Amino acid sequence: MSISRNAVDRLSPRQKMVLSVLACVLAAIVASPLRGVLDPANIVMLFLLTVLVVAVSLGRNPAVLAAVLSVLLFDVFFVPPHFSLAVSNLQYLVTFAVMLATALITGHLTATLKEQAADAERREQRTHALYEIASRLAGALNDGQVDEIVTQFVSSEFGGRCRLLLGELAVEVRADKAWYAGELARRVLESGQRQISREEGQVVYLPLKAPMRVRGVLVVQPGEEAALLEGDLALLDALASLVAIAVERLHYVEVAQHSEVEMATERLRSSILSALSHDLRTPLTVLVGLADSIFLIRPSLPEPALENARALRDQATRLAGLVANLLEMARLNAGSVTLRQEWQPLEEVVGSSLKLVGDALGRHRLRVELPRDLPLLRFDAVLIERVLCNLVENAAKYSPADGEIRISAALAGDFVDLAVSDEGAGFPVPESGQLFEMFVRGHSESATPGTGLGLAICRAIVDAHGGRMRVESPPSGGGRIVVSLPRGVPPVVEAEVA
Amino acid sequence: MSETRSQVLIVEDEAQIRHFVRLALEADGCVVQEAGRLADGLLIAGAGAIDLVVLDLGLPDGDGIDFIRAYRGWSDGPVLILSARTEERHKIDALDAGADDYLTKPFGVGELRARVRALMRRRQRPGGEASPLLEFGDIVVDLAKRQVWRKGEAVHLTPIEYRLLAMMVSHPGQVLTQRRLLAEIWGASYIESSHYLRVYVGHLRQKLEDDPAQPRHFLTETGVGYRFQTGT
Repeated sequence: MSISRNAVDRLSPRQKMVLSVLACVLAAIVASPLRGVLDPANIVMLFLLTVLVVAVSLGRNPAVLAAVLSVLLFDVFFVPPHFSLAVSNLQYLVTFAVMLATALITGHLTATLKEQAADAERREQRTHALYEIASRLAGALNDGQVDEIVTQFVSSEFGGRCRLLLGELAVEVRADKAWYAGELARRVLESGQRQISREEGQVVYLPLKAPMRVRGVLVVQPGEEAALLEGDLALLDALASLVAIAVERLHYVEVAQHSEVEMATERLRSSILSALSHDLRTPLTVLVGLADSIFLIRPSLPEPALENARALRDQATRLAGLVANLLEMARLNAGSVTLRQEWQPLEEVVGSSLKLVGDALGRHRLRVELPRDLPLLRFDAVLIERVLCNLVENAAKYSPADGEIRISAALAGDFVDLAVSDEGAGFPVPESGQLFEMFVRGHSESATPGTGLGLAICRAIVDAHGGRMRVESPPSGGGRIVVSLPRGVPPVVEAEVA
Repeated sequence: MSETRSQVLIVEDEAQIRHFVRLALEADGCVVQEAGRLADGLLIAGAGAIDLVVLDLGLPDGDGIDFIRAYRGWSDGPVLILSARTEERHKIDALDAGADDYLTKPFGVGELRARVRALMRRRQRPGGEASPLLEFGDIVVDLAKRQVWRKGEAVHLTPIEYRLLAMMVSHPGQVLTQRRLLAEIWGASYIESSHYLRVYVGHLRQKLEDDPAQPRHFLTETGVGYRFQTGT
C-alpha cells in the first residue's frame, strides 16, 4: 500500500481496535444517565450510531468488534438485571440478535463504502498523475528529458528508483554493475513481456511497447516498505506505454531530421561525383587520344616509339576502365543511382555487352546459349550491361587464353538465372561469399592485374534490382557466376493484326 | 573524300582534346576549325560552309543541346556528340534535339575517324534513296516493292517489322532514340512502352541476323536506342 492519507489511516490495527473499544465505552457512559429517561430501544439506537461511526472512521474489523461489544454493554448495563449477562425478559434476546445483525450489516456496508471511496480517490489521483506525466512526456524534446520525467514520477508515486533503458545497446552496455539484472532486461526486451523479480527486493521490468516495436525496458524498484499491488502494476503498465510512445515519437522526429540532412548530403555527394567524373575523364580522353594520334604522324615514327605509344594507349584505356569502375562504385555506394528499369529481352543486353567487351576477350572462344522462350525482364540495361561486361572480362582474365567462355540463361522459379562460366581455376570455395566484397580478390597473390572492384559493382547492381549473385565451382571444372534476376509479371505485347 | 575538302567545326572547351581531334580529322583531309565556347562555335557555324560539327555537351558558357537547337534552325548538317558514359539521359536529349551520333569519352582516334567518315558519306550522298534497292551482308531490301530477301530467299515480315526495318535502313550509321522509333512507328501514345520496340527489334534480328545475340546490323545503343549499320 503506497498512498497514505490521514492520521486515522496511519494507525496500526491494534490501535484501531483500542479506539473502537473506547468508543463503545464512551457510548455506554453517555447513555447511563439517560437510563431512566429513554426507552431501551432508543439506547440501542445510540449504540448503533456508535458502530456506524466506528465503521466510517476505523474500518471493518473495529466495526465488528464495536457491534459485539455494544450488544454486551447494552446487556450488562441497560437490560435488567443490571451488571449481569443474565436476561430477565427473554424478549431481549430478540433485541440482541437484531441489534447485532443491524450493527454488523451497517458496519460492513459502511466499511465497504469507505474502501470504495478511498479506491476511487486513489484511482482519480493516478489518472491525474498519468495525465500529468502524459502531457509532460508529450513536451519532451529528447530521451534525456524523458528519463528525467519518468524518474521524478516513480520517486513521487512509488518512493523508489527506476532506470530507463532505450534500445538494445543500452540494455547491454548499462547492465554492468547495476542494481537490476541486465540479463532479465534483455529477455524482457526480446519477449515484450513484463517480468517481476523478487531477489533483493521487488524489481519490475516493463517492456516499452510502442506501435512499431519494443523500444526498450523500464526497470522500477519501489521504495523500501511498499509492496506493489495489482493497481500499482496497472499504473506502471500505463506509464510504460506512455514512455514507449514518447520514445517512439522522438525516434521518428530524429529519423525525419536525419533523412533531411541525408538528402542534402546526397545531393552534394552526387554533384561532387559528377564533377570528379568530368575532371578525371577529361585528362584520360586526352591521354588516349594523343597516344592514338602518334600513329597519325607522317612520316611514321620509328617502331620503338610506336611500341611505346601503343603501350601508353593500352595503359590509358585500362586506367579509364578503372576510373569508370571506381566512379560507378562510388555512385552506387552513395545511393545516387536511380534505376531506369524497363522490360526487355535478356538477349539484347547480352549482345551489347559482348560488343563492348570486344578486345578484352582475346583468343577466348565464346558460346552464348539463351533459350528462345525467355520472358522479358525488367532491368536497367546500362547497369546490367556493366554487370555482364565485368563478368565476361573477369572470366577472360582468369581462364586460359584459348578457353571457352559460356553465357547461358535458364528459368529458375521466380527468377531467371544468367550464368557466365569459364574454364579457369574456379573460385576458392571458402571465400566465395567474400568475392563480392570491395577490393577482395580470389587469389590475392595472383599475377593477374585487378582491383577486386568488378564483382562488388556487379553485386551492388544486382542487389539494387532485387536479384542475387552466387559463385559456383561445377564438378566439371572451371568457375561459374550466376546472376538471378526476378521475373515479375511482364507486360503483354499485343500480337500484330497482320 | 579528299576531292572536296570537308569543313569540320570542333566545339570543345578542352584544348588538348581539340588538338588531337584536329590531328585525326586533318589526317583524313578535313579542314578543321576550333571553338572553345558555345558562342564562338555558333558564330563560326553561322558563317556557313560547315559540313560537320563535333560537339562537346558540357561547355563553359552553356549546354551543347542549346547549340544543336540553334544550329538546326538553319542547317541539317551532321552533328557528332562527345559525352561521358554516365550521361545517357543527356545523350538522348541531344539526339532528340537533332544530333546524329555520339562518342563516349574516352574514345580512340580510330573510332572517331570511323564515325566521322560514316556521317560524311551520308552528307555527300543526299540522293542515296535514288535506288530503292539496298544491300547489306546477305540481305537485300527493296524499298519500292516492300520486299526483303535473305541469301536469295524471300523473308516474310509483318507490317510493323517492315516499317521498323525501313526506318532503320534509311538512317544508316545514325543513332535512333527509342523515343523517336516508338513515336514514328507505333505513335506518340506508345512512347513509354519501350518493350514493344525491344520485342520487334528482336524479331528483326531473329529473321535477318546470323546470330541474333551478337547482331552485326541492328545494333543496340544501350540506354539510348538503336543504330543500323551496313556491316564491315
